[in-house]
Amino acid sequence: MTLAPRASGLETHNNKLERSLRRVQQEVLRMGTLVEQSFRLSHQCLFEQHIEATQKIAVLEKQIDQYYRQIEAECATLMTLQAPVAQDSRLLSAIMQLVRDLERIGDCAEDLTEMAIKLMKYPTPEILSEIALMSEHAQLMLATSLVALADLDPSAGARVKEYDDIVDDAYDRLYHAIAFQKDVPGVVEPILLLGLIIRHLERMADHATNISQRVTYIVTGKRN
Amino acid sequence: MATIDFLLGLAVGLGVYVGQQYRFKSQLKKTLNSYATNFNGEISLPLHSLLRRELNNLDLQRQKLEKDRQNWQELIEQAPIGYLQVNAENQLLGCNQTAKDLLKIDPRRSLRIRLLLELVRSYDLDILIETTRKSQLPQTKEWIYYYTRYVSPQDSESQINSYEPSQRTVESIALKGYGFPLSNQQVGIFLENRQPLLELSQSRERTFSDLTHELRTPLTSISLVAENLLRRLQNPERRWVEQMLQETNRLIELVQEWLDLTQLQAAPDRTLKYETIEIYDLIQSVWQTLEPIAKRKNVALFYHGDRQLTVAGDRSRLIQVFLNLLDNAIKHNPPQKDIKVQVSLYQSDTTVEQIKIEVIDSGRGFNASDLPYIFERLYRGDKSRMRKKEDNIASSDGSGLGLAIVEQIVQAHGGAVSANNHPQFGGAWLEILLPVTKPEKT
Repeated sequence: MTLAPRASGLETHNNKLERSLRRVQQEVLRMGTLVEQSFRLSHQCLFEQHIEATQKIAVLEKQIDQYYRQIEAECATLMTLQAPVAQDSRLLSAIMQLVRDLERIGDCAEDLTEMAIKLMKYPTPEILSEIALMSEHAQLMLATSLVALADLDPSAGARVKEYDDIVDDAYDRLYHAIAFQKDVPGVVEPILLLGLIIRHLERMADHATNISQRVTYIVTGKRN
Repeated sequence: MATIDFLLGLAVGLGVYVGQQYRFKSQLKKTLNSYATNFNGEISLPLHSLLRRELNNLDLQRQKLEKDRQNWQELIEQAPIGYLQVNAENQLLGCNQTAKDLLKIDPRRSLRIRLLLELVRSYDLDILIETTRKSQLPQTKEWIYYYTRYVSPQDSESQINSYEPSQRTVESIALKGYGFPLSNQQVGIFLENRQPLLELSQSRERTFSDLTHELRTPLTSISLVAENLLRRLQNPERRWVEQMLQETNRLIELVQEWLDLTQLQAAPDRTLKYETIEIYDLIQSVWQTLEPIAKRKNVALFYHGDRQLTVAGDRSRLIQVFLNLLDNAIKHNPPQKDIKVQVSLYQSDTTVEQIKIEVIDSGRGFNASDLPYIFERLYRGDKSRMRKKEDNIASSDGSGLGLAIVEQIVQAHGGAVSANNHPQFGGAWLEILLPVTKPEKT
């Protein structure tokens, strides 16, 4: 008889933790959709000349920042007050890292739109269509990582890594194509911008890879 | 002695038993009476038959309800409109096939009860659900849903490597959602596919502006040829060509206005050059341009209000607004009557300071049936009104675009325009609200 209240106390404690975890997970997913959206907007701004994207992205960026801070604080509170163990603890610590990756992708997207606006003054470079493909790949990687996070699927890490290799190769190839042009007329700005753009896209792809690998860590407890 | 005691005891026992039975039965009857739907106490059947009858009834009803429920569920599943339902924690309880198609929910992912956001990464849908739950009122929202392709575990190795650029990574679909609050903090959402509608209206707009674009060049050359001809001809041929020239110029203007309108709509605030404008000066200068027509009809303009009031706006565009409005007003004004322009500061509940400009003529006003449509492109109201227009040979429009242009320009300035018949004077009554300062970009 004396055990029962303790057991039920444990039960409610567990339930409470579970509910809190679910809430945090939902917040992370919300933040993920926002980051995905700003990535998409930067893509539209770069390759489809949607100038309005800049304004929309500024608003999104504020929201993303807010989620970032809120989720981090919530995770810290849960870690200290609820003392989670095993997968729950891994989930929380991975989420704290993962939101930073997400936030960085959002920052990069904002930078990309600024560069896109600067690039609009110049005639469209031929190489832009290849960069668009690279950006699409990076978006696909982010989407795969976010699905993996929702499904807690440890196998996604490897798949995303494969795409990361494709993006890295594209980066090398494009860098070569941009850097070793000869007899370039006019100012250097468009070339500089293209270099920065592919650099940013490569960073974004890296962050997406990190996210999927953190998901693998949550489930298996192994880092690779 | 013992026998009497025994019988007495038996009698008391039986009495208690019968009494309890009686009480039990009457209680049962009462319960049956209060719960049963079609029970009437007059049927003198044994109680247990009544009970069985009632239970049978209830069972039938239950089966019928169950069947009804199944039918409804089947109907929702087959509905051409998407439906999904989430619980208080935003977990997806169920959705029909159309919703799965619209939101591109991967059938390979497990459909155990899980967060909606895990399956559909749409912030707008999430917001619609939250606002519906918070307000406990039906809500609607329109948005464009983007779906980014991803690599699922079931995709085979070869598929990854043979990724073709022709396969689109990001797809978009225009959706309209209707949220309804349900019991227990649940929310139901209907989803409507607006993509075909959107594409249709876009293609219509495109066709029309392509057409006008194509018309401009030949029309200009026709008008040039006509001008040249005019110099070499004598009457009566000269009069015919004159008329031809007039009509051609009218067409050119229509085309130009249409192109202007399309441009304004495509990029409302980018084409505006803001400056501070005194409204009184602006209206006076517009009136001076219209003076010849006004004099012919003996129409005067009366300006009421503070002459110092200013707004921030694009001068040439606002001139166009008042040209169109005052020109219309003169046309529909009976001779020797006045046109009133009233300007005042407008106090609204919003923090933005606004100026209200009213243009009122003394004509017969709009037809009530035309009122909802007069700002639409190429809308022609009452035919008799149109006939009158044709009398004005020097009129600049009659294209049916005048008010559409007015609305588009005012909206680009962050303002609003409305049309009515003035309750006191009876004439057409156009009200324009303009923000005093340039609106902040949101």
